[in-house]
Amino acid sequence: MQNETTKIALLVAVSTLVFLMMPVFLILYIRSYNRHKKNHFLEKQHMQQKFESEMLQTRIEVQDQTMQSIATELHDNVGQLLSLTTLTLNSINLNDGEKAKNKIDNSLTLVSNSIKELRELAKLLHGEQLVENGIGHAIDQEINWLNKAGTYQLKVNNQLVDLQITSPDKDLIILRLLQEIINNIIKHAQAKYIQIDSYLDNGALHLKVSEDGIGFDPDMIKAKKSGMGLNSIYKRIEMINGKLALNSVPGEGTSISIEIPYP
Amino acid sequence: MRYVSPIVISEIICLTSAILLVWKDRKVFWKVITCYIAIALGTELYAIYLASKHIHNLWLFNIFLIFESSTILYGLYCCLKEYTSPKSIFFIGSGVVYLTYFIFFFTHSFTDANTLTISVMSVFFTLYCLYYYYLLLKDENFINIKTHPEFWWVTGVLFYYFGSTMSNIFDGLFTIKIIGVATLRYCIYVLLNLILYSLWVYSFICRMKQRKLHS
Repeated sequence: MQNETTKIALLVAVSTLVFLMMPVFLILYIRSYNRHKKNHFLEKQHMQQKFESEMLQTRIEVQDQTMQSIATELHDNVGQLLSLTTLTLNSINLNDGEKAKNKIDNSLTLVSNSIKELRELAKLLHGEQLVENGIGHAIDQEINWLNKAGTYQLKVNNQLVDLQITSPDKDLIILRLLQEIINNIIKHAQAKYIQIDSYLDNGALHLKVSEDGIGFDPDMIKAKKSGMGLNSIYKRIEMINGKLALNSVPGEGTSISIEIPYP
Repeated sequence: MRYVSPIVISEIICLTSAILLVWKDRKVFWKVITCYIAIALGTELYAIYLASKHIHNLWLFNIFLIFESSTILYGLYCCLKEYTSPKSIFFIGSGVVYLTYFIFFFTHSFTDANTLTISVMSVFFTLYCLYYYYLLLKDENFINIKTHPEFWWVTGVLFYYFGSTMSNIFDGLFTIKIIGVATLRYCIYVLLNLILYSLWVYSFICRMKQRKLHS
């Protein structure tokens, strides 16, 4: 009997130790799981910060681009018009009434043209509002400025103007992507013809820009990892889970096709 | 000198820590725990006094059982409430525990040790603790468990009630004496109490630090 009691006591002692070990392992498991959760949490936080900083950078770049357009416009257009107005007004001879009248009429036309140009500039200054009005309007505005230069033959099919849904962050990035692509065309492509298509299909926004410029070897550019703002285009598209297809052949132009989940 | 036992010492240390560290806490939870430790200490001391006078003291532990089950249920309810709405499962748990308690006394004398209720209670407490861990892991928000007071409080409860399972099941079947006159059962309970109160003291320290950080 005593022997049996000893056996039970031993069993209870060992089992109690085992029962005490189980919570220990449980805590170790929770600790390890929690550590993974912490890393995941920090990574998520880091990505959020990166996204916010990239958004800020994009916003700054859009503003910068707007300022550059305004500076160019003021210098090349409004400035010239006003200089011409000054010259015309200075050359008026009040004794020759008929000629003076013609010159004043010319000056008035020049001033009203300047006012028109300034109104256009004022619209551009509301770059932020452009995106607020929808990505379709922002793309339209960008194309208008490109069209105004008169350097390119444009074919535009923008189906996003009456878009009812918006995504402010993505809109800003898409606008910046278009600006960057147009900048590249202006700086490097030597194109004469540009075609821009934008539309929404199956929950994805498509933006296609093709031109007939000198083209380039995409593999060489990727290997260089330097040029033409392509890296930043790729980085931003990746940030909003988009896809980019780039086709270019030296001498045969370039086409860029972007697909972004929207909104 | 007979009043000085490892359990009494650990309870005094835990009560002192509770009064110093969490008594002023705005959460009722910590005040309830402090009161419970005071009641546990009082019960322990009175039980020793009765034993010294050779008076039966199991009825005292049976009364204390009501306080014990209520406090631990309340504490676990507070901890689980942060992650889910545990009213229904606590309604079932407390119903079963109290029902077992009263049924036992309809069929047994009040001076018998209510081991059935203790066993049922331990099972429920263990399940609630495991559910708490599950919700903690499932929760999207990350918490630093090293300094999370509720986590360590629940861990103390889990160690005590899960660790005492075997002793509860085989209670009365063994009376082996080790270390002089102390039975194995007593030694196991001393160990469990030391673990429980150490973890609770640590949880009080964490709570105090947390409070200071937020003030």
